[in-house]
Amino acid sequence: MDEFFSADGYAAGADGYDEMLDGDRLIRPHWQPLMAELGRLGPEDLVRHRQEMMKLLRENGVSYNIYGTPEGQHRPWQLDPVPLPIASDEWAAIEAAMVQRAELLNRILADLYGPRELIRQGLLPLELIYSHNGFLRPCDQIRLPGSHQLVVYAADLARGTDGRIRVIGDRTQVPSGMGYALENRATLSRVLPDLFRSNGVYALESFFQHMRDGLSALAPAGSESPHIVVMTPGPFNETFFEHAYLAAYLGYPLVQGDDLVVRDGHVWLKSLGGLQKVDVILRRVDEDYCDPLELRENSRLGVPGLLEVMRRGNVAIANPLGSGVLENPGLMAFLPGIAEYFGQALALPSIATWWCGQHRECDHVLANLSSMVIKPIHRTAGTRPVFGSRLSRVAQESWRERIKAQPALYVGQEEQHFSTVPSLTNQKLEPRHAVLRSFMVATKDGYAVMPGGLTRCAPGSKDLLVTSQAGGSAKDTWVLAPAHAALPLAAYGPEPASAMTDTPLPSRAADNLFWAGRYAERTEGTIRLMRIIIKGLFDQPGRSNLAYAPGMACLLQALTAMTGTYPSFLADNPPAPEPELRALAFDETRPGSLAHSLRSQLQASYAVRDLWSSDTWRIMDELEEQWIVAKRVNSPDLWQAMDLMDQLLISLSAFGGMAMETMTRGKGWLFLNIGRRLERAVLLLSVLRSAFSLQRPAEIESYLINALLDSSDNLIRNPFQHQPPGLEAFIEMLMFDDNNPRSLIYQFERLHEYIAELPAGCGDEHFHLTKQTMEALRRAHANGLLAATPTDTRLQLDTLLGNLSGMTYRISDALTAAYFRHEQSHPLSQAQAV
Amino acid sequence: MRYRVAHTTVYEYSEPVTLSYNEARLLPRACPNQQCPSAALEIFPQPSDYREREDFFGNRVAYFSIRETHSIFSVTARSEILIQPAEAPWASQETGWETVRDTLWHLRDPQALDARQFALPSQLVAADAALAAYAAPSFQPGRALLHAVHDLMQRIHTEFIFDADFTEIATPLATVLAHRRGVCQDFAHLAIGCLRSQGLAARYVSGYIENLPPPGQQKMVGADVSHAWFSVFVPDFGWMDFDPTNNQVPRDQHITTAWGRDYADVTPLKGVIFGGRHHALKVSVEVERLDELNS
Repeated sequence: MDEFFSADGYAAGADGYDEMLDGDRLIRPHWQPLMAELGRLGPEDLVRHRQEMMKLLRENGVSYNIYGTPEGQHRPWQLDPVPLPIASDEWAAIEAAMVQRAELLNRILADLYGPRELIRQGLLPLELIYSHNGFLRPCDQIRLPGSHQLVVYAADLARGTDGRIRVIGDRTQVPSGMGYALENRATLSRVLPDLFRSNGVYALESFFQHMRDGLSALAPAGSESPHIVVMTPGPFNETFFEHAYLAAYLGYPLVQGDDLVVRDGHVWLKSLGGLQKVDVILRRVDEDYCDPLELRENSRLGVPGLLEVMRRGNVAIANPLGSGVLENPGLMAFLPGIAEYFGQALALPSIATWWCGQHRECDHVLANLSSMVIKPIHRTAGTRPVFGSRLSRVAQESWRERIKAQPALYVGQEEQHFSTVPSLTNQKLEPRHAVLRSFMVATKDGYAVMPGGLTRCAPGSKDLLVTSQAGGSAKDTWVLAPAHAALPLAAYGPEPASAMTDTPLPSRAADNLFWAGRYAERTEGTIRLMRIIIKGLFDQPGRSNLAYAPGMACLLQALTAMTGTYPSFLADNPPAPEPELRALAFDETRPGSLAHSLRSQLQASYAVRDLWSSDTWRIMDELEEQWIVAKRVNSPDLWQAMDLMDQLLISLSAFGGMAMETMTRGKGWLFLNIGRRLERAVLLLSVLRSAFSLQRPAEIESYLINALLDSSDNLIRNPFQHQPPGLEAFIEMLMFDDNNPRSLIYQFERLHEYIAELPAGCGDEHFHLTKQTMEALRRAHANGLLAATPTDTRLQLDTLLGNLSGMTYRISDALTAAYFRHEQSHPLSQAQAV
Repeated sequence: MRYRVAHTTVYEYSEPVTLSYNEARLLPRACPNQQCPSAALEIFPQPSDYREREDFFGNRVAYFSIRETHSIFSVTARSEILIQPAEAPWASQETGWETVRDTLWHLRDPQALDARQFALPSQLVAADAALAAYAAPSFQPGRALLHAVHDLMQRIHTEFIFDADFTEIATPLATVLAHRRGVCQDFAHLAIGCLRSQGLAARYVSGYIENLPPPGQQKMVGADVSHAWFSVFVPDFGWMDFDPTNNQVPRDQHITTAWGRDYADVTPLKGVIFGGRHHALKVSVEVERLDELNS
């Protein structure tokens, strides 16, 4: 075997526990087939495969959003090609222990919002629970149907230097990571299918089927085929990728708070087909943000009245509001006692924990601070575990004071060095501390454990803290089947189903698709006009043309009108073209700029991430990547910008084509295309009006016609290849030719056709407006449209274009009013007691 | 004593409200010395959904939702209340406040267990060093709990100025303490904070006070509006109320609506609306004595 993959080349610390090497530095048996397979590949191949994986992950939009970075950047998910195998006998023990812990936490949760017998019996201190911000008093005495209150549960597991596995954290509020685990498997099995050949690895799909069954079983009595939605705080959340991925994979609509409304004691989804009753919510919004009436009143992510519906049992929320009370490290100190109270012994210990709310325990923590990890009992933004061993004397003292001031709010946990796993760093396997997140879901028959999980490694060899926010990479986690076991192998991971099927389309999603279409078109239109302007500016021979100067001025003005970036080139003293054009290309803060439109398009698209096919998403990712690269070029000159625009244009066309090809012609497709058609009409109207409302000398008009023809891909089918058309023919082509996909009439005809297909019952103003617009345009198709007054104003043309432009805004408003109304709720002020 | 109370809250909106969700804690709860034979809400416009329940603290809560588009929203709570004069446990309670503090954590009877939550910090009242310092002169070593609390009440009454224009709903306790100004809600929070800073359990009581000036005396502050005071937990006795705004131990002129850790737990009327833009809020309270009970 290559030295690279042998025990000799791997520098696992002698003092710790390594998952791959045993105490004699021999590869553990359950790692041997894997290491042999990796050895066959060789280091270069492995590094190359990692690059391939990263590309695949990036293209699939797998990201983890990091707070506090500019624009809330999406950080691509880091996946290590070396998986973590778990031997079948060890897994059997872990699985049993996980089920036991889930059942135990479930009983505690039911008790804390029920009789609170554990507090009465002295098994849990009242202060530990009542001081915790996850103990939601409005949720008292509310129960989900069935015996399980804790529906989805995740536990973080780590092995200590003594070789024992311990639970180091419980996730019960909105456990995240299972979507990433699924995507890790999908990616690894696509890039390195050979690895799976010599290892019997359990597939993950069955777990998600359990999840579907478990969620369906929660539906209030009488719902034959329950409606289930995934509720997300939106695209700015750090795990939004996962929300969209899970929604698409499970086949549920992805909704935000304002897609839902409470009415008559039920929760309804505001979908395009009207209100649809929601039976079960898979919640990814933090619980205190879920209902501004009873919980955090300034929340914009929730649904007013939601808690009351849950109280009445008319909607099941998983996990139920209030389940965050279990996400309390202080509980760990009391679990053995509670388990005993229920007649059990805890199979898998938690990490040694002392809750400072008790005198003796507090004294112990204070006295041994340098070997402790200090954690608050509840997670609050910006707090991280504190390693006592890394604190200065002064800092230790100040922590002692902090703990003494509010002892009930802190725990001390023993500082443990977790086991290491081989992790591929620059062409080398190096040991890294690792934590495994294991996932469980409640079904009618008890908890099902995911046969796998999400393994995360610390970023550096000295790093002890393992979190996604801190960086580091993830590993696919293999649960190995016992020898000779027949098991359903999944060579390939699942591809999330592209939605747009018969699941209801939330109106917010329709809104985003509409704007994704509009912005895509606006970006494209802006590029087309800018390219022609830049080309003109650099075309030295062309500048000798007498029409050049007035023609260029007119084009620049058309750009201002089209992008709505007034006053710009329409100012009395217009700016110098080059710097202004650069700003219009790259200044993201300037509405109307190319950068702004592209960013808006990407944002709108990302918000409906679950609705795109993976191929469409790949193009979107390419767009973003091109843009990021472009921004890195320090003040690119206009000529460089041209190159970039050419690339963008290709990607945009691919996006348009792909969206058309891969989306079924459902409501989502309609809104995307309504947006595109409407925007194309808007842009064309503003350019035509800006260029031709005033009659100019023939040579200037001919310059403009040439330029505009050049800017649209009409060039390809330009019937006037050699000789530019006259204005009349040009206007005929761009306004009235219903065979030209870039003509005005073509846009309005399609609009009319698409709008007619929209769900009825939302008013029909938009329908009538579109019809009127189309008819007005047809009526105007007459001689004399281009006649000018003595002052050179083409009154008829100008009036027509102005009216049509007004109509497009009315159509947009009418669509918004009919389909995308998202009013923000706000709290009433309260009377002071005087 | 028998009372009839009418408590009206009116919101006027500058633009129509299309949808509203509300929670009212306006129906008086039962207490050891108080019964509420009748209480009901009159809501305009008519809610499309209405339900009553008890909250975590045993208060009566009405949830309702209005779907009719409206520009004026009003809620009137009409209730009848019977009050027996509260007995103060002065004689039997000479226990020093430190003893009460130290034993509180070991008591496991249901009432004491329930009381322990009121010693913990809450959303609006977290004990801190400044509150502890203010409380200190009242909590001399060895002093009986009730005397210490009575002294604290008196000091707040004399050292703080009642000023209806100084504070608003969100004014932090630190500002009240620094400027020595506020209204009954602030004084109740202040006293609760002081008590919690000493490790004692104290809760916030929301309600009304009878507007009946004794002959030759001025009308009491807090009449004709909603009122608030505080209550302290006395082991082996229960809860005892103190009204720092009026410097008195409530007997039979204080009508309790609800109690909790602080105002946020017992807000009389909360709401979330769609539309409305700006709104103006008006509150009026009438407390009418019907007849004297047992006298």
